[in-house]
Amino acid sequence: MEFDVQHMIELWPEITKAFGQTLYMIGISLSVAIIIGLPLGILLFVTDKGLFLENRFVKSTFGFVVNMVRSIPFIILLVALFPLTQIIVGTTVGPLAASVALSVAAIPFFARIVETSLREIDKGVIEAAVAVGATPWMIIKDVLLPEAKSSIVQGITLTIISLVAYSAMAGIIGGGGIGDLAIRFGYYRYDDTIMIVTVVILIILVQLIQQIGDWTSKAIDKR
Amino acid sequence: MIHIKNLSKVYKTKKGTVSGVDNVSLTINEGEIFGIVGYSGAGKSSLIRCMNLLEQPTSGEIEVNGLDLTKLSGEKLRKARLKMGMIFQHFHLISQKTVGENIAFALKAANTPGKRINERVEELLEMVSLSDKKDVFPAQLSGGQKQRVGIARALANNPSVLLCDEATSALDPNTTLSILRLLKKINREFNITIVLITHEMNVVKEICDRMAVMQDGKVVEHGEVYDIFSDPQTELTKEFITSVVSFDVPKPILDACTGRILKVLFRGDVAGEGVITDTVQQFNIKGNFLHGSIEYIQERPLGLFLMELKGTDDDIYQAISYMEKRGARVEVIENGI
Repeated sequence: MEFDVQHMIELWPEITKAFGQTLYMIGISLSVAIIIGLPLGILLFVTDKGLFLENRFVKSTFGFVVNMVRSIPFIILLVALFPLTQIIVGTTVGPLAASVALSVAAIPFFARIVETSLREIDKGVIEAAVAVGATPWMIIKDVLLPEAKSSIVQGITLTIISLVAYSAMAGIIGGGGIGDLAIRFGYYRYDDTIMIVTVVILIILVQLIQQIGDWTSKAIDKR
Repeated sequence: MIHIKNLSKVYKTKKGTVSGVDNVSLTINEGEIFGIVGYSGAGKSSLIRCMNLLEQPTSGEIEVNGLDLTKLSGEKLRKARLKMGMIFQHFHLISQKTVGENIAFALKAANTPGKRINERVEELLEMVSLSDKKDVFPAQLSGGQKQRVGIARALANNPSVLLCDEATSALDPNTTLSILRLLKKINREFNITIVLITHEMNVVKEICDRMAVMQDGKVVEHGEVYDIFSDPQTELTKEFITSVVSFDVPKPILDACTGRILKVLFRGDVAGEGVITDTVQQFNIKGNFLHGSIEYIQERPLGLFLMELKGTDDDIYQAISYMEKRGARVEVIENGI
């Protein structure tokens, strides 16, 4: 194994482009995961037994769909979603196309994380809000989300890091990204330099995300 | 004001059904402080939680302000709850919101206009003596202060009823006393009916007008606190009273007594009349106090004394009837006639 600085400088534009693609895919899929996954996670929680919007039908239906999507291996999901991707972004290749599959995988993942975060809230606090005569919307907005926000931020951190890993597979449909670069150059072409550079970038990226996540989660917690 | 009729709550568990509340009927009058005592598992917590339908009763009715709550659901139930405050053993404040925001939350539930919310929060904080804590988070408060915030939140929408679920059980004795005084003040000033459940008889003695004793989901005894303290009917009630008014005399001392040992109980004004002094002076007997105290319940004295009387059987018999004539209740508990 040898490290060729010259080679790295040559391929540097390639690396920065891949880095940009990774951020692009994660940005899109994370946003979609939060926009759809957060309400879905809340729905899974508040329709649970003994809670203020208890609804067995809704709970089991959405729970089933979430489990189903989560059980499909990502590679298969990526290909199986081609028709949907075609409709949404008009193509089945490139980072934007890969973002569709990443989003679909991230939504149920994040929804379960939100549900778990909400479950950690002291039931008594929710009960006190019910006793005070608060509306379900008020309880969600002023009790559930504030009480779980620190834990949800941890969940977002976890989701981003999972997305970094998943996005490496996006190379299969020409999604690009750092992980893809590592596979194409480092793995298939035995290009040690690129392998090392990309892995180092990924390590730094993940460490940074985790640090920022931990710090934010702590900073917003008033307990 | 609160009428509970044949209320039952049955819990379904994996092992079968457990009866939490078993056919309880109670009437709680407007403006009174009503205490429900019982050991853990007696069903008192289920009962109070049924009163605002935090728990759905299995059968029976709960009428509050003329409205049968068991017939309500959704928006109507929510509206009814606005008029019933509740405080909890572990306070249950929103930890990520300030004291002011916690109280404002209750006001928002009643659609209070924004400007009025601020005024009302200030008013409530002043009432519970926490005006300087408006922008503080619950984690920075002591237990007693948290409960005060709980009280302010519960009273935000001027409820007619305040339910207290073991509200002082997590607090130290001094803090308990200050919270009880606050509850009493609220009760007197705003004529709010207070229902509290507790396992501490002291709490009942301190502030309640009437009380009920629960065991195995049933109310075994209820009435005026003073009457129950002076004349408990069931063993369980006696046990609870012992926790406040205890008459344990060391056995060697009892064994050393040669006379008759009497338990003398004075109710109300009699307690202050010096009946015992008169008795000892009038009859040819010698009295010897072993134990004694005067408890004030609802500001009425209740005197309980354990004493040894020495003299002839006849003199003692006469002394006892004299004391009874003066309004005392006498019980010979050892070496009896």
